[in-house]
Amino acid sequence: MSGAGDAVPVLQVRDLQAHFRTHYFGVNREVRAVDGVTFEVNRNEIYGLAGESSSGKTTLVKTIAGLLKPPLEMVGGSARFSFLPGWDAIGRAPPEVVRAIRWRHLSYIMQGSMNVLNPLRRVRYSFRDFAWRHLGGSKVEFDARVVAHMERVKLDPSVLDAYPHELSGGMRQRVTIALATICKPDFIIADEPTTALDVVVQKDVLGMIRAIQCEMGSSILFITHDMGVHAALTDRLGIMYAGRLVEDGETPEIFSRPLHPYTRHLIASLPRIGDTEQREGLDGTPPNLAAPPPGCRFHPRCPLAMPVCTTIVPAMVETLPGHRVACHAVNPGMAT
Amino acid sequence: MLAILRDLLRYNLEFRIGLALVAIVLVMAGLSFVSPYPAGDVFVVPPDIPPSITHWLGTTSRGQDVFWQLTLAIRNTLGFGIMVAVLSRVIAIVVGLLAGYSGGWIDRVLMSINDTFIIIPLFPILILFYFVLRDTMSTPLLATIMACLGWAYDARLIRSIALSLKTREFTQTSIFSGMKTHEILAREHLPYVLPIVFSTTMNNMNWSIGIEVTLAVLGFTDINTPTIGGMIYWANQHTALVAGIWWWIAFPVALVAMTFVGLFLLAVSMNEYIDPRSRLARMGGGR
Amino acid sequence: MSALIELDRVSKSFSRGGLFSTRRVEAVKEVSFALDADKPEIFTVIGESGSGKSTLARMILGIHAPSSGQVRLGGRDVATYERRAFMAEVQPIFQNPFEAFNPLKRLDRYLFMTAERFGGATGTSAVDGSVDEALRQVGLSLPEIKGRFPHELSGGQLQRVAIARALVAKPRLIVADEPVSMIDASLRMSIVNLFGRLRDELGLSIVYITHDLATAYYISDRLIIMQQGVVVEQGPARAVLSAPTHPYSRQLRDAVLTPDSAGAFRATHSRKAAETPGARS
Repeated sequence: MSGAGDAVPVLQVRDLQAHFRTHYFGVNREVRAVDGVTFEVNRNEIYGLAGESSSGKTTLVKTIAGLLKPPLEMVGGSARFSFLPGWDAIGRAPPEVVRAIRWRHLSYIMQGSMNVLNPLRRVRYSFRDFAWRHLGGSKVEFDARVVAHMERVKLDPSVLDAYPHELSGGMRQRVTIALATICKPDFIIADEPTTALDVVVQKDVLGMIRAIQCEMGSSILFITHDMGVHAALTDRLGIMYAGRLVEDGETPEIFSRPLHPYTRHLIASLPRIGDTEQREGLDGTPPNLAAPPPGCRFHPRCPLAMPVCTTIVPAMVETLPGHRVACHAVNPGMAT
Repeated sequence: MLAILRDLLRYNLEFRIGLALVAIVLVMAGLSFVSPYPAGDVFVVPPDIPPSITHWLGTTSRGQDVFWQLTLAIRNTLGFGIMVAVLSRVIAIVVGLLAGYSGGWIDRVLMSINDTFIIIPLFPILILFYFVLRDTMSTPLLATIMACLGWAYDARLIRSIALSLKTREFTQTSIFSGMKTHEILAREHLPYVLPIVFSTTMNNMNWSIGIEVTLAVLGFTDINTPTIGGMIYWANQHTALVAGIWWWIAFPVALVAMTFVGLFLLAVSMNEYIDPRSRLARMGGGR
Repeated sequence: MSALIELDRVSKSFSRGGLFSTRRVEAVKEVSFALDADKPEIFTVIGESGSGKSTLARMILGIHAPSSGQVRLGGRDVATYERRAFMAEVQPIFQNPFEAFNPLKRLDRYLFMTAERFGGATGTSAVDGSVDEALRQVGLSLPEIKGRFPHELSGGQLQRVAIARALVAKPRLIVADEPVSMIDASLRMSIVNLFGRLRDELGLSIVYITHDLATAYYISDRLIIMQQGVVVEQGPARAVLSAPTHPYSRQLRDAVLTPDSAGAFRATHSRKAAETPGARS
């Protein structure tokens, strides 16, 4: 089955680089957390980003969203949104421009839903704080819209009169999703939104995310380390390793025909109920991004490593239609 | 340790200024050992001479050289501050770490003692001690009393850190590695408390020096031991400001202010350096 | 048959609330099971947050005392053990390997200390020897670890060191509370397989606390499923997970997302995908 997206890019990321630069008492460190990432997210699709704890996926998302705080710096490349013409990254646009698009065109669903909802105020007021000035209208009109939206996402409007602490973790996360979608944004960034939830609740929340996305036709950049979630939810999937994208393509294609040795391992190592086959972990350890290995960053752990891998960075090549991979073993004779 | 000092000197302006100020104060204190005049004696020089070549900071109405008198006064005052700070830190660390880590009835008992010390009014107690002890009141005794009164607030601060350290997994690892309670407190938890201990040390010294000066100005201390407060006390007794002998008051005040600022800057810069997060970043860790 | 560890109708309740309204929250209700001393196994406790599985782990470790019921080690109530004698028999492994060691201290001191105090090693060479042996059992060695700080190692390596530290004490039982949930996917299975080796080669029994049904199915012999402090289902791991009978167990099993669930939400929710299959090429 193919993805649901229309091939119109909403987000175009080109050779994006973002580094952490720290300076403590003469010890300078530069951690190249995102080092040359290129991909696109189309209209009306969920693009998944998978990777381990040090893969730089969260840094990538922060850079795309323009949430850069020292020591994190955007060093090069661009991340253009179709609704922000003329600026090659949100982080480079002036604050008033950014304020105008936030929530209206771009919103976020984060892991800690408590951080978004004001703990001292009823949920209704969080909606007013976030969305009223974007939607406009009188208070009565706005409240009516909020209630209508709650019903659309299958939440009981009585939730609006609750305090965040009175809601369960799953309910809070549903409320943040409602909050993130009330302005019908073009683009939603979801960073591990279900990681803290129990699996039963997670399933419901993922279903809700997909249902809303279908209805609004917006795009979602969905980050999680959980390959099961990616398989179930996303249309296209990018795999990150050590600050670089190593493979991307349509999700079913990636799962049925993974090309990069790292992706292959990730998928093959997942245990399944009803399957007693021996699974193995990968040898070696994720690289230190302050001193990454030269060439392909996966080569010290790669079962297919060749001499060329230790010196030349493999280019991201469209090996099959719509399926890119950065690996010398898969794309012989290609290099940057 | 040397490397730490070198790094701080090289990269931290606050530290450099603080160190310079404290160094001046320490040199002053050190010079007291080579003072040409006996410390307690009066009328060894002509009285009421303004600052000049022979008497750099002038002389007092009691016939003492202000400069040499100051060297001894700052030595005693600093010594007093250090004594109070060290003693009260020891109490605060032991009580704070133990209460936070042990919990239960130990915590409740220690914290009720602690809260008693926080709320008892300091000044009347000190004056009461002075009137009861009077002749036997000496600087070490006053320092001990001050230390007993000056630990409670910081102990609560340390306890709150100890409470959160107790719930961290590495505390359980330490327990299941066979460490005893005192080892866990001293080796595992103390490093996290040190930043607060350092900054409160400087603050506590400033606090105790301030109290000592106040008490001395009012005459509630052993006025025969020259201290900064004692100098101001004598200057007031001789109505120095009215008589125009400004240097008798101005220089002690300036020196004690220099001490305050110097200690404060050292506290700030040391704090930044010793903080576990900054330490981790320098070791190459930190996520 | 003698029991290594035996839980006999163990309950634990905590009091919550402030000055005027205290209420008792029952975290664990009347849980009973036993591990055979002669038959090493991986015994899994499955539950979600709030199921009481971590409280159960802490009672087995003797960190919490049960409100009622008894935890017995080798037939003797855990409460009557001298703490250290108990720790020589039962050792923990925690969830977050980055938190399991003090980040400001070298790793090896925990290993050496455990060897001296529980492993019965005296003298530098004996201590080094027993630490090295334990590290080799987890695929590391003393020269690799000596003098290293926690931040210099990856999560997977740290969790191996944590396991080695527990092994140095030569315990009979290891209680592992979510030991792989914070380990990167590429390293996770090596740790899970390591637990299997400890059981098969060293004859260790392991209580494996987890919310992850897939690894439970993969590695464990028997399991219990807990919901709000109560055991709702128990039995041989693969039989239970292949055909759960309790409604909650079934709900849990059905919520597990695997690569095989590809497109689960597309198929059910995506109108567009259903209408125009293969729209993108």
